[in-house]
Amino acid sequence: MTDKPFDPVAAWADMVQKWEQEINSWSTKLTDNEQFGAVVGNVSRIQLVVQRMVAEKMESMLATLAMPTKAQVEELAERMAGIEDSIDRLRLAIEARALTPGNAPVDAPPPPPEPKRTRKPAAKG
Amino acid sequence: MAEGTEPSREDVAERVRREVDRAIKRNIKGLEFLTAGRQEVGAMKKELVHREGTAMLYRFTPIVDEIYRVPLLIVSPPSNKGYIFDLAPGQSMVEYLLQRGFDVFNLDWAPPRHDESHLGLSDYVDRFIPDSMARIEEITGERDVTLAGYCMGGTLATIHAALHMGEGKANRIRNLLLFATPIDFSTMRLFQKWADQKHFDVDMMVDRLGVIPPELMLGAFDLARPANRTAGRMHLWTNMWNDEFVRSYRMFDRWAAETLPVPGEYFREQIKKLMWDNGLVNDRLEIAGRLAHLSAITCPILNIIAQHDHVVSREAAGPLMTLTGSTDREEIISKGGHVSLVAGPAALRRLWPLIDDWLGKRSV
Repeated sequence: MTDKPFDPVAAWADMVQKWEQEINSWSTKLTDNEQFGAVVGNVSRIQLVVQRMVAEKMESMLATLAMPTKAQVEELAERMAGIEDSIDRLRLAIEARALTPGNAPVDAPPPPPEPKRTRKPAAKG
Repeated sequence: MAEGTEPSREDVAERVRREVDRAIKRNIKGLEFLTAGRQEVGAMKKELVHREGTAMLYRFTPIVDEIYRVPLLIVSPPSNKGYIFDLAPGQSMVEYLLQRGFDVFNLDWAPPRHDESHLGLSDYVDRFIPDSMARIEEITGERDVTLAGYCMGGTLATIHAALHMGEGKANRIRNLLLFATPIDFSTMRLFQKWADQKHFDVDMMVDRLGVIPPELMLGAFDLARPANRTAGRMHLWTNMWNDEFVRSYRMFDRWAAETLPVPGEYFREQIKKLMWDNGLVNDRLEIAGRLAHLSAITCPILNIIAQHDHVVSREAAGPLMTLTGSTDREEIISKGGHVSLVAGPAALRRLWPLIDDWLGKRSV
């Protein structure tokens, strides 16, 4: 017996949670056998082959339409990432050089002071 | 319907009004949700202090005048972005640690390029981690460091410690702080089935793809908990009126969607040396010609596990408490799941103060 009035929103949330637990535990049982590994292995292999075939078809189609392929876009993204990497390294090298005595520009603001490294844990009362 | 006291007419009217109000808000905010851009993440100011291709070392700007002597380096898992440690003000482990006086660095990862597909475990544990420590010493003047890691970031930190501890001058690790860190891979049943040695052709996959796309790893996580995504959407809809819930959902959703690709060689070694051979537990993990012995780790260890972690169980992280050579080891089992250790609002109240207490004493 309960004094709580029926709350449809709470009941819905409860139902979703139970459903989630049931599906997840069902999946755990389903995947806990030798066959599952074999199926995943085969699917991965087939997926790779299919992906390659689809990519080749798409590439020839996009080439006909004079549009960039996924591989070309990825190549561009990688070049951008490479440039970003180089700029970061250059910036860090310039900053490091500026910190060595005599190399800092005259009008450069001084680096912010480092905090003291003397902190101790607060004593327990 | 359960027997109970009849609600008054005013109570019923109030509940109807509230539910109608929420239903309207759900629809308005639901539209906003569908048309919104990426959720902003990150609470604390940080600066890139070292970069080596995929490896990026950040320093979070200290926010107190007096900090602990020993800096803290958190290693992100190579397949995930490090902003999970710093989601938003009030929900950021980094913010908490900075407030408590720690000097926090994060070794984070950019998506590896195809010319980095050859990067293997040794690049991570023998190059990126020590190079980060050397840079930290340049900045802080401190040789000692607390090495921390989350999930596979913790595994990499552990392998690094196992290889380099006991090397005298080369040993810089003052403490190991590990969150949901898999060590005994034989206990990770679903991942063992998913990458079954008899059927999973990792060489073909790596040789064909070079860089392993995130979809592959996300697929394995979805298999472990296939209902989570749908149930998450249902909970979102129910709570669409609640701005805080929606903001938090969008931050986690963005983080999961931004799972990173990993270098093929790293993936191959992870599967062969850790998943199949269980090298750390069987004491035969070889990295660049040297064996990584867990027993060589003698520094203080704090091993943090989530009670309901469907990715890394207590058994998977267990050898940190039994096979390491440390005499100062502590285990914390925290309520919640895999991610809630480093990002959950509950961790702010329950777990992080325990970390502050443990680490503060060992950081002077």
